[in-house]
Amino acid sequence: MNHFGRVTCGFGVLAVLFGSSIRAEDQPTSLTYEQHIRPIFRAHCFDCHGATQDFKGKLDLRLVRRMKLGGESGPAVVAGKPDESYLLDRVRSGEMPPGDARLSAEEITTLERWIAAGIPTARPEPESIGPGVGITPEERNFWSFQPVRRPIEPKFSTGERIRTPIDALLRKAMPAGLSFSPDADRTTLIKRLYLDLIGLPPTPDDVQKWNADTGADWFDRLVDQLLASEHYGERWARHWLDVAGYADSEGYTVKDNPRPWAWKYRDYVIRSLNADKPFDRFLTEQLAGDEIMPPRKGDLTERQIELLAATGFLRMAADGTGSGADNAVARNQVMTDTIRIVSTSLLGLSVGCAQCHDHRYDPIPHTDYYAMRAIFEPALDWKKWQQPNQRRVSLYTEADKKRAAELEAEAQKQAAEKAGKQKIYMAEALEKELEKYKDPLREQLKTAYTTPDAKRSNEQKALLKKHPSVNISPGVLYQYLPKRAEELKAYDKRIGEIRAKKPTEEFLRVLQEPAGHAPETRLFHRGDHEQPQEVVLPAGLSVVGVDGQPRQFKPNDGSLKTTGRRLAFSKWLTSGQNPLFQRVIVNRMWMHHFGRGIVGTPSDFGVLGMRPTHPEVLDWLADEFMKNGWSLKKLHKLIVSSTAWRQSSVSDAAKSAIDPENRFYWRKPVIRLEAETIRDRMLATAGKLDRTLFGAPVAVKEDDTGQVIVDGGQTRRSLYVAVRRTQPVAMMQAFDAPVMEVNCESRPTSTVATQSLMLLNGAFTLDHARGLADRCVKESRITANSDHAKLLAGFPKRSQGPWRYGYGHFNAKSGNVEFTPFARWSGSRWQGGETVPDPMLGYVFLTSTGGHPDVPERAAIRRWIAPHAGMLSIDGSLGHGSENGNGVRGTIVSSRSGKSGEWTAHHKSVNTNASGLKVQTGDVIDFICDCNGNHTSDSFTWTVELTLKTDGTVDQVSKSSTEFAGPLASPDKLLGQVERAWELAFCRRPSSDEYELAIDFLVRQIQYLGKHPNQLPKGTQPELQALTSLCQTLISSNEFLYVD
Amino acid sequence: MFTRRQFLNENAMGIGAVALAYLLKQDGLLATPKNVPKARPSFDLKPKQPHHEPQATAMISLFQHGGPSHMDLTDPKPELSKAAGKDYKGDIAYSFVNNASKKLLGSFWKFKKHGECGTELSELLPNIGGIADDICLIRSMHTGANGHEVSIRYFHGGIPGVLGRPTIGSWLTYGLGAETQELPAYMVLSDPGGHPVDGVNNWSNGFMPSLFQGTVLRPKAPRILNLDAPPHLRGTLQRQNLDLLQALNRKHLEQHRGESDLEARIASYELAARMQTAAREALDISQETKSTQNMYGLHEDATREYGTRCLIARRLVERGVRFVQLFLAGQPWDNHTNIKGALAGICRRTDRPCAGLVKDLKQRGMLEKTVVHWGGEIGRLPVTQDHGDPKKAGRDHNGQGFSIWLAGGGFKPGMAYGNTDEVGHRAVENVVTPNDYQATLLHLFGLDHQRLVYHHSGQEHIVTNRRSAKIVSGVLSKPPLPATPA
Repeated sequence: MNHFGRVTCGFGVLAVLFGSSIRAEDQPTSLTYEQHIRPIFRAHCFDCHGATQDFKGKLDLRLVRRMKLGGESGPAVVAGKPDESYLLDRVRSGEMPPGDARLSAEEITTLERWIAAGIPTARPEPESIGPGVGITPEERNFWSFQPVRRPIEPKFSTGERIRTPIDALLRKAMPAGLSFSPDADRTTLIKRLYLDLIGLPPTPDDVQKWNADTGADWFDRLVDQLLASEHYGERWARHWLDVAGYADSEGYTVKDNPRPWAWKYRDYVIRSLNADKPFDRFLTEQLAGDEIMPPRKGDLTERQIELLAATGFLRMAADGTGSGADNAVARNQVMTDTIRIVSTSLLGLSVGCAQCHDHRYDPIPHTDYYAMRAIFEPALDWKKWQQPNQRRVSLYTEADKKRAAELEAEAQKQAAEKAGKQKIYMAEALEKELEKYKDPLREQLKTAYTTPDAKRSNEQKALLKKHPSVNISPGVLYQYLPKRAEELKAYDKRIGEIRAKKPTEEFLRVLQEPAGHAPETRLFHRGDHEQPQEVVLPAGLSVVGVDGQPRQFKPNDGSLKTTGRRLAFSKWLTSGQNPLFQRVIVNRMWMHHFGRGIVGTPSDFGVLGMRPTHPEVLDWLADEFMKNGWSLKKLHKLIVSSTAWRQSSVSDAAKSAIDPENRFYWRKPVIRLEAETIRDRMLATAGKLDRTLFGAPVAVKEDDTGQVIVDGGQTRRSLYVAVRRTQPVAMMQAFDAPVMEVNCESRPTSTVATQSLMLLNGAFTLDHARGLADRCVKESRITANSDHAKLLAGFPKRSQGPWRYGYGHFNAKSGNVEFTPFARWSGSRWQGGETVPDPMLGYVFLTSTGGHPDVPERAAIRRWIAPHAGMLSIDGSLGHGSENGNGVRGTIVSSRSGKSGEWTAHHKSVNTNASGLKVQTGDVIDFICDCNGNHTSDSFTWTVELTLKTDGTVDQVSKSSTEFAGPLASPDKLLGQVERAWELAFCRRPSSDEYELAIDFLVRQIQYLGKHPNQLPKGTQPELQALTSLCQTLISSNEFLYVD
Repeated sequence: MFTRRQFLNENAMGIGAVALAYLLKQDGLLATPKNVPKARPSFDLKPKQPHHEPQATAMISLFQHGGPSHMDLTDPKPELSKAAGKDYKGDIAYSFVNNASKKLLGSFWKFKKHGECGTELSELLPNIGGIADDICLIRSMHTGANGHEVSIRYFHGGIPGVLGRPTIGSWLTYGLGAETQELPAYMVLSDPGGHPVDGVNNWSNGFMPSLFQGTVLRPKAPRILNLDAPPHLRGTLQRQNLDLLQALNRKHLEQHRGESDLEARIASYELAARMQTAAREALDISQETKSTQNMYGLHEDATREYGTRCLIARRLVERGVRFVQLFLAGQPWDNHTNIKGALAGICRRTDRPCAGLVKDLKQRGMLEKTVVHWGGEIGRLPVTQDHGDPKKAGRDHNGQGFSIWLAGGGFKPGMAYGNTDEVGHRAVENVVTPNDYQATLLHLFGLDHQRLVYHHSGQEHIVTNRRSAKIVSGVLSKPPLPATPA
């Protein structure tokens, strides 16, 4: 097993991101050691020639004068003479650095030029330096380590639409020719606000309401309403859970055991965000909730529960120590991952490199890493480890315990009673069984049975074996005394019921530092825990410390029971003295609102990270965030109220020519929805979203094809879907939801064919397209007017077919059939009203294979109309299943020749055949099923097959079940359905072009399906299938997947 | 300068704004303002230029989970047979300490020389014997660890035991893209019996985007998920739907000219549609002649399933897929007990298909550019794993020395490289580690393993994680030129 875990640091080749761009852009004219050479040495050489006092070859590269002096091989550099400089010689030949790594050609050139220029330094070198690589002013001057400076807001004329200082600062940075785009139209803004702030689309009513709002402050009010929505917390919790590395499983081992109570932390985050808890407090609770928790007296208070739940943040790392990997490597890996989560999420630096050696690019010394580890070591002590199950805190109250104990006592009482009775019944059964035997055998058997097993003689054992029926056990008592056994069984049920009444015991998964526990932290040589070296004390990062000294934290805060290290750390983070934290947080918020951060690498504000595009905006926001009491909601409002956010995303050729990537925010970036939002939006659009908040995660499973899906078609928001590290939900993973290895700093946005296949053919999309289509059918409001006549002209005319469905009765006297068509189609049956029974018409209905009559006057009637003249024969079967009632009566009546047959069926089926019926075009044949005089238990099946012959040749066969269908869709209604589809999917009405496009599509698809009815799913009409296709297209389209 | 349409055609698998901007910048259309963000990385599977002239362009890896018993298959040990029953003198590490024994266990099988090269192979592998002149057998593999997962992850991800790293297939597709954009670049053919040991980690993309994850071809139809529309949507209907979709997307794009992400999505739908046809065709083995099918053993029950997958692997590579890997369920080569019966069984199932694949590739002229890899993560111990009954005897894990073989793609045919000690316990001559193997493999694909860098979390990652790794020139047909200093 490798002791270095996942720690992997780059050697050698400078990053493409760093090396080439810096060097290619500005080859500096004057080189200095501090600015240009030291970064090269830091990356390649200091490990052996600077970091430790044990300089290889006695060469120290940290000072130019020591270089000149050189080591065992003589001077390393000769000022002005590159070719005589041994160092350059060794580097050029590839001998140095040792191993596979090489300096790049650019780096070697820089070295040559610097030597040729006479090895200049930026300033006189210090008389002496301490051990280690140290941090130079140049390194300290890096932008992200500078204090936050609030810029002065530039002034602009009113025509520039400067709504906030953000706008002023962005505007100032724009080159000539660029300016903000016009504001987006109101419908777009409404949609944008909903999706951005709560991650759900507005309903058509919301869109209409806010569009109709005449108040000048409608935007403000809508923002306030959305920020106050409980769904706001869900949306923004997901963003935070990414960086926190939230998962509902332990990971690390292949088993990937579930992590049952992680969701309590998830719910804590949602609640905190909904409450707009000041972010500094939010952070302190997560880092040190246990340290600031008032001491426990009896039951946990709400506040204590909140604080303990918060510490779940420090329990997010993958952890195999409860799944069979409780060893030093696994424990240290948990600590490493926890430090990575903390540093990337809060400091915007990957301190991980410093686990093994001084960071190669950023001024983070090896000791800084262990100083940070010392902050967490008292609570995460790998030598006194708590396995996952030991970290649980029960939420049982005293009252719960008391109640549980009472119920248990009650259960025990029942159990004792049962045991008593069982003993008696066993004896009773034995006596009864023994009656079958005569003495002395009877007595022998009895003695053998009552003798305890261990004491039985061999003869006794043999005896019992020979007469096994005497060997009665409680498990077979039911064979002897069934009633008694039932009585005993009833006890078990009662006991179960009593126990089920116990209050459910829930837990929190917490990080709680033991009182008075302050283990020492040692620096690990090369990150190897088997090579501990000097003791390191807790501290913040050196580079942002005062006067080059790291901010030391008291190793033990006497005023607390715990060491107070994490509390001190969180205070330092939020004190404003550390410039990283607030920049990191506002940058993340900006990234979520604009699709990219001001710093494009939200977790790397170091040398290898990207530089801020708009440092002044970043600093202004960071400062404002603190001034506003760390209120996230105020920050959101500030950002979304800006012109930059409210402007249109529509492109502009002239501006695009100047800045095609929109780096200067001259239009609102178009953003691809996150995986969760895509799924949630589909659910909401189809009207299926379950908006319940909080609670245990929704399970996932593998479907028949091995694809991981949400179990049981549950429709909660995606945030609540279980995050299993080894079982990411296929649809969410395809759209870049993170697979939680450690944590996710920022999600990539991929565009791949598998996503398209999922949207085209995946069950989830297809199901929700159908859901949306059903919803459109139900909710469609408008019908066509004369304006639409042209659009509908091409609509295919379909004939209704030979069948009609209704109710009535056969009047034997007149020979007529009273027939009223059913008014309501349920989707699978024809019926009288919205529900069965209908208040007026009762139980009468028809399905594809049968139906139900009501009172004698309301028989169910299936009617067939002859399409042309001929000779008709009928094959059929009338069935009635129930034993109750008196069955049903079927009558076949021809409008030309009257009754041609009558049958009754009660708990059986009968054939209902008829032949030789002459019909003319338009003649009617009725299949009347009534209640046979007694209106009970009248459910029936009746399928018929009609064969129509002309001149002895069969030219038409009609089958009642397969031709069963709902009403013909009316083109008038389709138009309304198209409109509704647009409103639900796109939050707007279709344009006239789009109407045309949609209708044209529907016409073609309905025509096609009319010709190929075998392609229709069973029971679906061409109109509904075409509408489903339209809906699927809408929810797979770019307008649905992106927010503009 | 590309037209946008050309650009889309060439970038179907996934492009981002950055790529487009890059092209524009190349053409000098875009002055770089000061203080611009460095690009957010964007990834695709377009063919990429390797570092140097490649000898191999595709690979089929026949991974044999569990640790094939090299002294019974590929590494004859007459000394072991002579000393059978005696105690092994050296140190030995056991995984199953409860059955630990020092008694040497001779092979139950006979070895004989094959081909012109005369490589000795066991009677359990008669068909592989038939391709002895085409394979390069390495008898001196060494992971240093006996555990399965530790060594599996070493082979796939470059660091023993460590999860969360991209596998060799991810690195190859990241570095080279694929020749086809109509099929996934990296495909895994899974076993009907289930996942191999270590499950989905065997084809993990680790910290790379999911684009570079192995696409699992299911053991039965539908072999690719979501590939086919449900029956009622197939054909004209889906085409109608796609046409409407693209019409809507194009209207949307008119408002957002230059958003290459939107353009890419339009392209990806067209690709998805093409993929439906291409994949179905690629998987249709009924197009193969009877004699080809028989070569893979499709005519016999024992070999039909694995043979079918080998044949599909060839068809995929033929159509431009970069990397295909076959797995067996669980770890059938992990013969702790009854090695006599169990080892013969798994050999029977795989011997003909594996050999058939190499022969077929060769007869089609594909072997030259296609690497075939056969091997597990470890081998087995020369001593018996004692279960009291000699009939139940097996062998415990051994990561100290074992064999793998390679064919094609620039590996030297008809040779055996390296050696274990006289009983087959440790690799003693020309030791090869998984990191060496990775470096060598990438070399044949025209990649320098040191320069194939992936940036993640502010760190540079390479497949070997800067662990010691050498190109094993002894197994190459064309040894590499000595490295030139930078």
